[in-house]
Amino acid sequence: MITKLIEKKIEKIAARYPDRRSALLPAFHLVQRESGGFVGHDHLIAIAKIIGVPVSEAYGVQTYYTMFRREPVGKYHLQVDTNIPAMLAGAEEIVTHLEQALGIQVGQTTPDKKFTLSTVECLASCGTCPVIQVNDRYYESMTKERTDALLASLRRDKMPDMPVETHFHTECNVLLARRGLPNATDIDVYLETGGFQGLERALQMSPAEVIAEVKASNIRGRGGAGFPAGVKWGFLAKDTGKPIYLVCNADEGEPGTFKDRQIMQYDPHLLIEGIVISGYAIEASLGFIYIRGEFAWIANILERALEQARNKGFLGKNILGSGFDFDIVVHLGAGAYVCGEETALIESLEGKRGNPRLKPPFPAVIGLYGSPTIVNNVETLASIPFIVERGAKAFMEFGEANNFGPKIFGISGHVNRPGVYEYPLGTPLATLLDAAGGVVGQLKAVIVGGLSVPILTAQEAEGLVMSYDDCLKKGTMLGSGGIMVLNETASIPKVALRAIRFYAHESCGQCTPCRQGSRTISELLAGIVAGRGTRKDIDLVLKLCDSIKGTTLCPTGEAFAVPIEAMVTKFRSEFESLVS
Amino acid sequence: MHLTIDGRVVEAVPGQTVLEAARAAGIYIPALCYHPKTGKAGRCRACVVEVEGLRGLKESCALLVKDGMVVRTDTPKVLQTRRMIVELLLSEGHHNCISCQSNADCELQEMAYHLGIERPSYLVESLPTPKDMSSGGIVRDSDKCIQCGRCVVACQHGVVNQVLSFAYRGSHAQVVCDDDQPMGESTCVQCGECVQVCPVGALVLKQPLENKIRPHETTATKVTCPYCGVGCQIDLHTKDNRYAFAMAHEGQWDRQPNKGMLCVKGRFGLDYIDSPDRLRSPLVRKKGKLEKASWDEALDVVAKGLKAIQEKHGPDAVGFFTSAKVSNEENYALQRFGRALIGTNNIDHCARL
Repeated sequence: MITKLIEKKIEKIAARYPDRRSALLPAFHLVQRESGGFVGHDHLIAIAKIIGVPVSEAYGVQTYYTMFRREPVGKYHLQVDTNIPAMLAGAEEIVTHLEQALGIQVGQTTPDKKFTLSTVECLASCGTCPVIQVNDRYYESMTKERTDALLASLRRDKMPDMPVETHFHTECNVLLARRGLPNATDIDVYLETGGFQGLERALQMSPAEVIAEVKASNIRGRGGAGFPAGVKWGFLAKDTGKPIYLVCNADEGEPGTFKDRQIMQYDPHLLIEGIVISGYAIEASLGFIYIRGEFAWIANILERALEQARNKGFLGKNILGSGFDFDIVVHLGAGAYVCGEETALIESLEGKRGNPRLKPPFPAVIGLYGSPTIVNNVETLASIPFIVERGAKAFMEFGEANNFGPKIFGISGHVNRPGVYEYPLGTPLATLLDAAGGVVGQLKAVIVGGLSVPILTAQEAEGLVMSYDDCLKKGTMLGSGGIMVLNETASIPKVALRAIRFYAHESCGQCTPCRQGSRTISELLAGIVAGRGTRKDIDLVLKLCDSIKGTTLCPTGEAFAVPIEAMVTKFRSEFESLVS
Repeated sequence: MHLTIDGRVVEAVPGQTVLEAARAAGIYIPALCYHPKTGKAGRCRACVVEVEGLRGLKESCALLVKDGMVVRTDTPKVLQTRRMIVELLLSEGHHNCISCQSNADCELQEMAYHLGIERPSYLVESLPTPKDMSSGGIVRDSDKCIQCGRCVVACQHGVVNQVLSFAYRGSHAQVVCDDDQPMGESTCVQCGECVQVCPVGALVLKQPLENKIRPHETTATKVTCPYCGVGCQIDLHTKDNRYAFAMAHEGQWDRQPNKGMLCVKGRFGLDYIDSPDRLRSPLVRKKGKLEKASWDEALDVVAKGLKAIQEKHGPDAVGFFTSAKVSNEENYALQRFGRALIGTNNIDHCARL
């Protein structure tokens, strides 16, 4: 049974939201954490009753998200990221090593109930792979030796501290300006280094003036689509009589992408300032940070920063004496890539399955709780303080026409110093690869914008400039700026198989082409990689990719059909060498 | 207003969708997840069309008509998409029309027929899932489910029984009852609305399945439900003039008192029509034994009996109890008989069937 104390906690969470159903995901997280690591039948019924949803829907929600469990797991749940950047860094060997060391297979628990071993999708540690998540904690840059040390410590029931060397550099000093500072998550450090001056300036302007400044900066959304943020704000339905909501999309899950995490983990006040300014500009009544569930520990950093900001009057009622009231709620996802799509994110925030909505209407007209809503990416919002404080012109000094501003590029895979690098848009790919210590071995191919964009051969990548427009011109997309580098040792068919398995795992299952198409392509590629395939299978993969393009309910169909098609087309001989 | 679909000028009214306008004009656009009662869903992607001036494919179930709109349902991309949808749906699960209860009453089969697809060009191997036979009146076959979601919307928002929901994700997604209970052990009340809207053979009625009667063999007769006073319109399906099964009548469903829905009684409570236990002639008790009698003989016995009681014990010794299964006029006649001829107010009615 659920204790009265937990029930009270759920009620307290529910009170944070305009609609109590939003407390469904937090309630699952809470009960799972405090009642034995899973939510079984009785607890599910109790949660459904407290929140006031049918049991069937609560179950539908619970089973949608991979982080919610129906069965108990071991005391230490070891979750190894096996997505492409991790795979390139040797995650498969770590999994095998763990299986041998623990004497269990993936998906099993040791007889003493101490360890459960799982493989999971991208944990946004691409620069510090392989990564093992133990319960809520990340252990990064894992080697066999470090894994042994981790296990030895866990066997003594101690979660060890294992420092990680990370690589970063900033040419722009905007988004990663405080990346190397000690205690940069503290508001005093933030204030000493010029923090909240953008907010002060914004509050002296009218909301319309702030919007005009952001529009003038031409900043394009940093989530992946590159849609101009100011224009998006302009789509907000006016005078609806309903509240306006601002949602920060921190569901960073695109394989190869680990940029938003840098801001939230190392400079949370920059994001908070950006959200408050944007909330003021669009006249929002409440802001949300929808952060992926695996980042629960980063959510704690944000919560602490929000509390500090509230205490100093940067958040809450009558911010800095301006009369503007605004607060931010941190909302944890629970393991669903598709929730990075804005309408799926809204559904999830409303306590539902993260299924994308049919569009139109767009969120700016009917969004969260049926109200006009703006959803912006972390990096976009974190750029706003600079734009407002220094002006659109200063922002446009970075980059080039139509592609202005600083951008965080996350570089992973076969480079000497994988990590995050802040450079102006329009920086040559070669410069970024140099910054990352150069390619290990010989460059074979590169995926420049997260897994969902078409792969480029080494030849195609020559002379590429990292801007939205040049990437498009070269037949790919800038996307999230997550650059995955592949050298001559990488097998493209294996990369393609791992890619499609990810999408098949993450497809919400709503629409036929995505649900069944990803599964069918996955089975065909598995056959090819295992040597059971035929030439006909290769053609079938291409035919399916071509048919799926443009037919799905949300962009996920395109997100796998286009890159898989590119991998098979550009490296066809590699696929053919595997088939009869 | 007018729009052009595949070169044909079609009349439409504002607020109509392209799909509705096309269907009203007799133009075939397949739609597996859209149903007039459950609305647009955007899930199946079968109804996509191309529209001049708009980029890409558009869901005709969600696209509102505009005057002068030029729609095409027969472009290579539309047909390629439809073929892909049918092939993908046929490749998952176990679709076998030969022994399917919904043969010739299946929207997926109809779509495949229109495209000339007999079997998909690839198959995804999956182990068969046992049918859920646990409930009294409904059989669930998840291997035939195409994830259209009509049943979920109907259960959650139509009849608001809130039993069916989607659970799990991706190709593992499936429709479950409560927290994945067998239907017979769930909170399902057997209204059968899910069967009513299912486009394929994933949700079927148990009785015709067991009696080996498929919908294409039956004749539907529109009747009014004989149970309570709502007046639900039923399509009573008969074969060889015998009861087969009942479905809600869906013609002009939105103007009916039941909006095309039924309860468990209307859906499953009509098989008594052919019951051998049913009385087909009056019976009169003679020497302690019930014997067949003519109506004249039986009515004489009743009249004599009533008169005797009335004379001996007074009119209030007689009472009348009538039925919700007969018409208002018949009920009225009986209470007039009681009050005017016998002289009693002892009249009641079993509206609680």
